[in-house]
Order: sequence, then structure tokens, then C-alpha cells
Amino acid sequence: MDHEASAGHGHEHPPTTIRQYIIIGVILAIITAVELWVSYAGLGAIEIPLLLIMSAVKFGIVAALFMHLKFEHKIMTRMFLIGIVLATALLLAVIALFWNDATDNRVLPDRSESSAPAH
Amino acid sequence: MAAAAHESGHHTSLGVDNRKLLMWIFLASECLFFGTLISTYLVFKGQSLVGPFPGEILDIPLTSASTFVLLMSSLTMVLAVYGAQHGRLGLMRGMLLATILLGLTFLGFQVYEFRHFGHLGLNLGTNQFGATFYLMTGFHGTHVGVGVLYLISLLIGSMRRSGLGKERALWVDTAGLYWHFVDVVWIVIFTIVYLIPE
Repeated sequence: MDHEASAGHGHEHPPTTIRQYIIIGVILAIITAVELWVSYAGLGAIEIPLLLIMSAVKFGIVAALFMHLKFEHKIMTRMFLIGIVLATALLLAVIALFWNDATDNRVLPDRSESSAPAH
Repeated sequence: MAAAAHESGHHTSLGVDNRKLLMWIFLASECLFFGTLISTYLVFKGQSLVGPFPGEILDIPLTSASTFVLLMSSLTMVLAVYGAQHGRLGLMRGMLLATILLGLTFLGFQVYEFRHFGHLGLNLGTNQFGATFYLMTGFHGTHVGVGVLYLISLLIGSMRRSGLGKERALWVDTAGLYWHFVDVVWIVIFTIVYLIPE
């Protein structure tokens, strides 16, 4: 029965030690602190790209090393990537659809007041 | 024999455990779920005509603290998986308990934030920001809550049967995948909602 854990994976355990996991956790915390600093620093045009890159790096570290995607069978990575690609495509499609819609669908407060009967 | 086969899952021609593959397929579908919520938030970002507006009420230092808590819960979760895979039952139980407590702390932050926003006049129907913000972060919080219950069931199972160690490491591993996914979703939400200015 002892072999079940590894047999269930189809792979050996990830070659990561407790110390390495803690170092990864510290790196994630440092990136979060830098993100916070960037959001207050007012870096202008590079602020948003910088924040998105740091967010993607954190995402990648957690997925690859904490979720062990780096050490898993390729089919797991492909499965997850399909979800991410479809979600990104959905995001871009919806944003493109709404940002190219010139119709103002918002309900203005004065619009609702003007439609109310005069007192 | 049948029970043993049931516990270890069905071995497939890919050499991949079916339970783990199922979790990855579920997480792929969750990408679309949260992708939809994040898309909706972005579409309505900056469209609110009445306040409170995000810049007026979002408390970035407070949410940074809750983000740190969730990141550290990912660290404790991966250590719980490590403990389970290496037959260190004590480490696994301790780290599962730590992950549960950190998850509850994150939920505490979220409840405080929601109540605080409510007092400031931001509700689900106040404006576009309120609707999309509560929907997205609320569903994320629900996922964290489900994850906490999932981990509590694993912890209780390990106490009762003293068998949730190396033999059933895959259950902890699968729970860990769910927990880390909830964490990566928050990494995206934290950047889009809190850090990127309107």
C-alpha cells in the first residue's frame, strides 16, 4: 500500500524540499510587496503593464511549483491551458464587444427623474 | 482487493490518476467561470454613474494583508501535501490546520470588507461597481469557504482513521490543487480590482 501515493501520480514526487517551498513563499510575498509599492509609486504608463507582469509571474510560480504543474504529466498542463486560453479569449471578446458598443445603456439618475410625473 | 483498488483510483493507459485528471478538468472549467466574472467586472469598470466609486472606498493596505494571508495559506497547503507524500502525518495535519486557519482569516477580512462597504452605502444594486465587485469577490469567497470545508473533512478523516497519510496522499494533493487555484484566481482579482487604478 505504501507505493500507492506515488503510483497514483504516475510520477515521482516533485524534487522540492521544505526549505525550497518556504523560499518560494517568501518570493511570492516579496512580489506582492513590490506590487503594492508600484501601485502607490505613480510610475505612469508602465504601471499597469508592470502590475500585470508581476501578477502573471505570481500566477506562474504558484501553478508550476505549488500545483506541481512543472512536474506533472503534460496532459494536465494542456488541460489547464485550454481553460486559461478559452477564458482569455472570452475576456477579449466580451471587452471588444462592449467597448465597440456606442450605445449608452447606463441608467442616468436624471433620466429616471425626467420620466417621473411632475409634482 | 476491491476496496484497495477503489482507494487508489483507477490506473489509466496514460499513467495519470483519474481523480487528479478530474480535478484538473474541473479547474479548467473554473477558469471559464472566473473568466466570465472578471470580464464582466472589466466591462463595467469605470461605468458607475453614482458613488461610492472604487477609488473612494477600496482599502488597498487591508486587502494586501488578506492577499498575504492567502499566499501563505498556499505555502502551508503545499507543505501539507509534502507531508502527506512523504508519510509525515504530523506535518500534514499541522499544515492542514494552518491552511484552514489562514483560509478562515481571509474570509474574516472579506466579511469585514463587505460590512464596511455596506456601511459606506455600497450594495449589490448601488451601481455597476457594486454589482460586479460583490458578484466576483463573493463567488471567490464562496470558493474559499468550500475549500475550508474540504480541508476540514480531510483533517477529520486523518484523525479518525489515521490513514490519511502516505497511502492517501492523493486526496490531500487534489485538495491542494483546488486551494492553489483559489489562490491564483485571487492573484488576478487583487491586481485587476485593487491595484490597477480606474
